[in-house]
Amino acid sequence: MSQARERLRRICIAGSGQVAVITALALRRTVPDTEVVVLGLPGDPAAYADRAATALPYTNKLHDRIGITEEAIIQQAAGSHRLLMRYFGWGAEGQSGAMPYGAQLDAQWRTRFAKEWGGGPRNAAGRRPAGSLAEVLADAARFAVPPGDMPTPLDDIDYALRWNMPAYRDLMVSIAQQLGVNHVVGDIAALEPNGQGGIASVAVEQQGQIQGKIEADLFVDCSGPAARLLSALPEAKRMDWSTFLPALRLLHGKPQQGMLALEDRASLLPEGWLVEFAGADGLQITLGLAESISEQDALQALGVEPAEMVTLAQGCAKDAWAGNVVALGDAAASFEPLGHLNLDLAHRQLGLLLEMLPGRVVEPLERAEFNRRAALMAQQVRDTLATHYVAPRARGVFGEKPLPESLLHVLDQYTRRGRLPFREEAALLNQEYMALLGALGFPAGVTPQSQSQDPGEAEAARTAFEVQARQALQFAPPYQQFMAQMMQPQQPADSGIAGDLQY
Amino acid sequence: MMSGVNSKKMRVVVLGGGTAGWMTAAGIAKLLPDLASVDLIESQDIGIVGVGEATLPHIRGFVERLGIDEAAFMKATHATYKLGIDFRDFGRIGESYIHPFGSFGEEVGGIGFHHYWLELQRQGLAAELGEYSLAVAACRANRFTPPAQDSSLASTYGYAYQFDATLFGPFMREFGTSIGVTRHEGLVVDVERDPESGDVTALLLKDGRRIEGDLFVDCSGFRSLLLGQTLEEEWEDWTHWLPCDRAAAMPCTHKTSDIRPYTIATAMPAGWRWQIPLQHRMGNGYVFSSAHLDEDAACEALRKAAEGDPLADPRILKFRPGRRKHSWSHNVLGVGLAGGFLEPLESTSIYLAQMAITYLIEMFPQDGKIDPRDRDEFNRLVDMEYDRVRDFLILHYHATTRDDSDFWNHVRTMQVPDTLADKLELWKRAARIEKYSDGLFYDASWIAVYIGQGMLPDAHDSRVSLPDPGRVSGAMDNLRKEIASQVNAMPGHMDYLKSEAARLAEAA
Repeated sequence: MSQARERLRRICIAGSGQVAVITALALRRTVPDTEVVVLGLPGDPAAYADRAATALPYTNKLHDRIGITEEAIIQQAAGSHRLLMRYFGWGAEGQSGAMPYGAQLDAQWRTRFAKEWGGGPRNAAGRRPAGSLAEVLADAARFAVPPGDMPTPLDDIDYALRWNMPAYRDLMVSIAQQLGVNHVVGDIAALEPNGQGGIASVAVEQQGQIQGKIEADLFVDCSGPAARLLSALPEAKRMDWSTFLPALRLLHGKPQQGMLALEDRASLLPEGWLVEFAGADGLQITLGLAESISEQDALQALGVEPAEMVTLAQGCAKDAWAGNVVALGDAAASFEPLGHLNLDLAHRQLGLLLEMLPGRVVEPLERAEFNRRAALMAQQVRDTLATHYVAPRARGVFGEKPLPESLLHVLDQYTRRGRLPFREEAALLNQEYMALLGALGFPAGVTPQSQSQDPGEAEAARTAFEVQARQALQFAPPYQQFMAQMMQPQQPADSGIAGDLQY
Repeated sequence: MMSGVNSKKMRVVVLGGGTAGWMTAAGIAKLLPDLASVDLIESQDIGIVGVGEATLPHIRGFVERLGIDEAAFMKATHATYKLGIDFRDFGRIGESYIHPFGSFGEEVGGIGFHHYWLELQRQGLAAELGEYSLAVAACRANRFTPPAQDSSLASTYGYAYQFDATLFGPFMREFGTSIGVTRHEGLVVDVERDPESGDVTALLLKDGRRIEGDLFVDCSGFRSLLLGQTLEEEWEDWTHWLPCDRAAAMPCTHKTSDIRPYTIATAMPAGWRWQIPLQHRMGNGYVFSSAHLDEDAACEALRKAAEGDPLADPRILKFRPGRRKHSWSHNVLGVGLAGGFLEPLESTSIYLAQMAITYLIEMFPQDGKIDPRDRDEFNRLVDMEYDRVRDFLILHYHATTRDDSDFWNHVRTMQVPDTLADKLELWKRAARIEKYSDGLFYDASWIAVYIGQGMLPDAHDSRVSLPDPGRVSGAMDNLRKEIASQVNAMPGHMDYLKSEAARLAEAA
């Protein structure tokens, strides 16, 4: 007879950034009778999952699960919506392209049977869409979040949220406090091994004084690239990605005037890449520098007053879960904020931990299964980033770099055959990654089938898309108008406490 | 039509006119008309195996892609709908379960439904797992209606067909020849190869005709004239894990007027027996291990157990579970039995052929040349599919307490592949399923077999006891009631088939 496993009595989360806070919140929701303690270690500027003021569409679902509403983010944390990333100059000078979020699916891929028996939308390669509604809307600066209770022409649009990071973190902290998450500020003085390859307790110090120790069944390391807990374990190994990811220095500009835009931009300059993040509270500009660029040239390329320079050490933990320590965010994988994958990966890792949350005794095979999937997630993020640096014009800026075998295989199939091999735990949906490859200027191979396709079919698809686009433009108000409405306080006031990660 | 990159078409020669051969020829002719010409060689002197009467839901997409009308196809092959397989006596004699084309319940709070079911089962409050599946409940009630195209409860299942495989080949032949496949009746007596590259260049027929080609698809069944006999591609034998290597097949009459929307697989002392209801007859067969039972005894056992009156004597089919080390070598691919075979337990035979055809179309040579990278990719994908299905099939034999025959003692105690051993251990210790999203058979299928065959884990998710037990059992009862009410509203399978027949008559 199968028995429910004994629940974790206490979980200790090490870190002070938004990854630690959302982890605490999510765990508190999923095991309300387990004590959750956050050990607020000092932050690290190179912890890009903690710095990120945005993620990808997956995060919206995570927010729903743990009870953070979109209204709260928009009203209390300067939230806004991004429908796509726009790329400039990666394929050639003057070339540009867009990567909209989401995938256009035939009805048959939306059924629960398809999800459970056919792998779901991630598997649906589908035909290359005739056009992107997201791009049409972004160009027209029109958008509204579909209400959800009635069909609208915008239902296929997926989006990512942006926010003001400190305000977003504060919002989550206030919910965490209401839920009874405990918080200890301090640093790690010592770690006591548990004799099973993990940790029994953490001794905490403040200003050089030992304050006590935190014992826990499970430790979650959200301490940033240093992975303060995981790296202390004997079996911890980190894999270096710098061979594939050549931008080792990032120059951040001081925030500029805020704006409401439905897209962010990534341009390729002779000095490296430049990301313009259109926050409602401020436009943030980041330059990822090619190796040989001098600081002076970098400052000029940045184009705004500089704020700080950060040196990266890209890489990932070979096993994100060792003993009873699970690393999330930069502690598991650390890399540049190109394409906003940092917090998305952290959230997907958290999703995996929620799915596979152990009992008090960790089973070695469940740890192995978590590590297998987490490693695939990290590898896919690495390959997605590396894709940028081998875009036709990027090779000239960053120099010829070796490619991971897995990416070589994907690019070979795409450029020769026009197909994407299935990638388990991929960072982006197939259609998104196809669009990214197009936006970065990779020439697509011609699929055998499209060589035999009736031109009438393509024409019909284009016509159908034009109709859809017209309907979407008619339905969507100017984005500014929609946001002005969203800023009106709703009655009753939103407590931000609902969530379906409860029973 | 758009002209191809290179106007020279690749000459594809398909050897074999069985199910795999005609599916391949029709698929290429329909989907790549500007890239390929298709010749198919078949001989009336060589019979077709024609098993694979039952299919998986994926066949629907394939048939649709070819632009074949479902009703016409079902009518021609005397097809019925299939919602799953009823496995009897596998885990233990007297016990049964249905592996549905569908799922069980829904996850709650991010935790899989089966964890809640295990908890309720521990408390003695759970109904049989199948009662929480719409597809299983429809099977039990002999009812059918097509699933909804939304994300409601009515969209939680899919369907396949049970059809007359000996009619499927001819149906595809008619379709294939209507869209430009050139058929050659004749017996291949020699294979010409390029002395330098070793590629096959032409097939010589008994009457002296010579069929040249650039790409050859070997659909010659287990004989595997091209891939096996000519190119001597090594066969990876899996008999030690899947010892059944014979089937005795015998068509019978229908015993009742009702037609089940599912297949029955009943475990036997040296294998298992199928009952596949078609519109016009009942397919019966006994899949057995020749190391444990001789052919005459198997035929006798089948005659005794078969449902309905025999329409013919049992016919013996021989097979070998396994696959070629390389399904594509030189300019020859094996599709169907020539490339590999996993016994018919989960009706994967036609799926595996259709999967190989789909990958061939994706990797189809460009500019008249075969790129070794595409060949490698094809082989990688085919191997992955075979290996995943293999583990799932082995599970059906290994997850048993049966000790009533040498056969069951062997499969119960045999050493399974490491890939499967880890999955079993993960299930046993934590009730978790190794996740993948490519290939065939995901969580719901593994759960159906594990639980159905009595392989309960030691422990399940710690969080299932958090919600109020009354609420959980109440919600689960409501789900059962909702399922029962939806099934009640479905027409009987037989009635639905009749209403389809009426629609066909109107259309005609």
